[in-house]
Amino acid sequence: MGSEQTRSDGEIVRSVLAGDIDHYGLLVRRYSDRYARYAAAMLGSRDAAEDAVQDALVRAYDQLAQCRDPENFAGWFFLILRNRCFAEHRRQQSQARSMETRDEAIAGPERADSAVEVAELRQTIGRALQLLTPEQREVFVLKHVEELSYEDIAARIGASVASLKMRMHRAYDRLRDELKELA
Amino acid sequence: MTEHYHPRVKQLMDGELSLSELPPELRAEGEAALRWLATVDRTPIVLSSNLDERVMAKVRSRLPARTRVLDLRRRIRPWVLGAVAAAAAVLLMTLPRESRVRVPVVAIARAPVHVRFVLYAPGAGRVAVAGTFNQWNADAAPLAPTRRPGLWTATLPLSPGQHQYAFLVDGRRWVSDPTAPTVDDGFGRRNSVVAVNPQTERGRGL
Amino acid sequence: MRSAVLVLLISTGITGPIAGQADVRGRLGGRLPAAVVAALQQVVDSAIAKGLPAEPLIEKAVEGSAKGVEPARVLAAVRAVLGRLSQSAVSLRSAGVLRPDTDALEAGAFALNAGLSPDQVQTLAAQVRAPYALAPTLRVAATLAALGVPGNDAVRLVRDELDAGHAPGDVLDLPRRVQMGMAGGRSAGQAAGRAGGPAHPSPEPPHALPPGQGRPHKP
Repeated sequence: MGSEQTRSDGEIVRSVLAGDIDHYGLLVRRYSDRYARYAAAMLGSRDAAEDAVQDALVRAYDQLAQCRDPENFAGWFFLILRNRCFAEHRRQQSQARSMETRDEAIAGPERADSAVEVAELRQTIGRALQLLTPEQREVFVLKHVEELSYEDIAARIGASVASLKMRMHRAYDRLRDELKELA
Repeated sequence: MTEHYHPRVKQLMDGELSLSELPPELRAEGEAALRWLATVDRTPIVLSSNLDERVMAKVRSRLPARTRVLDLRRRIRPWVLGAVAAAAAVLLMTLPRESRVRVPVVAIARAPVHVRFVLYAPGAGRVAVAGTFNQWNADAAPLAPTRRPGLWTATLPLSPGQHQYAFLVDGRRWVSDPTAPTVDDGFGRRNSVVAVNPQTERGRGL
Repeated sequence: MRSAVLVLLISTGITGPIAGQADVRGRLGGRLPAAVVAALQQVVDSAIAKGLPAEPLIEKAVEGSAKGVEPARVLAAVRAVLGRLSQSAVSLRSAGVLRPDTDALEAGAFALNAGLSPDQVQTLAAQVRAPYALAPTLRVAATLAALGVPGNDAVRLVRDELDAGHAPGDVLDLPRRVQMGMAGGRSAGQAAGRAGGPAHPSPEPPHALPPGQGRPHKP
């Protein structure tokens, strides 16, 4: 178990490509939850996120020989998952989706009014997020859920900081509109 | 009618200004915005514990990562391929589905050559390259951003020979490579062409 | 070329990947309507019956479905590929190539797609003798046409290289030289006019990639 922690992603990738299929499990364990929150926020449900992460991990295996920088498996895998999320969104466009809400664990036998308010607001924001364009939703999620800086987001997905801010600022306005409508 | 946040409030929301730096008349708007921003759900998500097993089960059912599938077109005369395909098709039809075995065809193919694809696409959210080398699967080969804003790149191993490809920008716009020769794709667009010549030690024959 | 070793494992089951070469239903089922898949299978069958390669047809169908093209147009494009392969066979046989291999057939079809006429393909094929190989020579002419060099100029350029007895590597290098000329601001035709003649000797093998696309490097 100790050695599992100390092997770098690059070492594992090379080992898998050399024929050691089981080692891919190490990467799966490392990354199966890493971007789950991002996927769930992008797709609006935990189930959809689980499907997307599973598909992306398998696809990353299939394309492993094309990972040009094995030490940055994380960034490459993120892009594969990201593409999968965008593809899923296109598929979902024509289908009615029920909005899933995440369970809120609110402590105490009596819920304070403010806690209920917060829970409802969270649900509303979640619904509103799904009404943004994927690109707007993504920059919002990466900045306000994953808490990355604009520079980090730019490095991860490409796009200039200026265009990211433009998307984000449109998202702020749309969210404000939706919060008024849906609340 | 969309009400827009004041630009300084948006800077506040971006974390680039503090409340006290806002002019007094904007503070109420700023506070309200920060309040709902703070309730955004940031709880990490843990996926099912058997996800890892499901992924590895699929991975193990595939061929090993390094198996090279021989490009039969270059080795077998067309009529042989046709006869084998016809025979196989007959057999396929007469056997029950379950008994079809996926048999690996293993050969030492010519070594792949790494080819770098580059596209300058400022304003793009994502870029992928698809072509004959990856079954036109736009999800298979995303390009990654480089330090230069708007410049995207990916390096892929391609087998020697001729390949056609195009870039898919933002998942909806097919763009050919401005630096490469192009041919009609038969669908109203143009595909780019790259010829990969095998690396040989001494000179090369055609 | 023949140094590759082919090991074919056939169990008492079925050779999936070999059947897959012509397995339209396997590769396109679910991606295109059943009626179109059936029609495509017919096109593939008729290609095989004529001794023409099936893979380019299936590839074109896969491409069309990946690009979200409407099925009728995919079918039309696949038929067009078959048409070019047939014509390529005719041109090559007329040039004296009695049994063109798959590579040459596809190269001829590619040349037609790039804008060369059947006569131009035939003329070029008739001139290819050892140490030059047919398919790569056709592909060079096709690539020049794909760069925008007028068909006659493309053929003339390649034929001049063959006539002058330049090294096969230099012929392969023609497209890159033309592209460099174009990068300098010339039109394809102008660049072609200047690209003929012996290439400057270079210490490394000519690169297969057009400038701007980086260089191939060993893995």
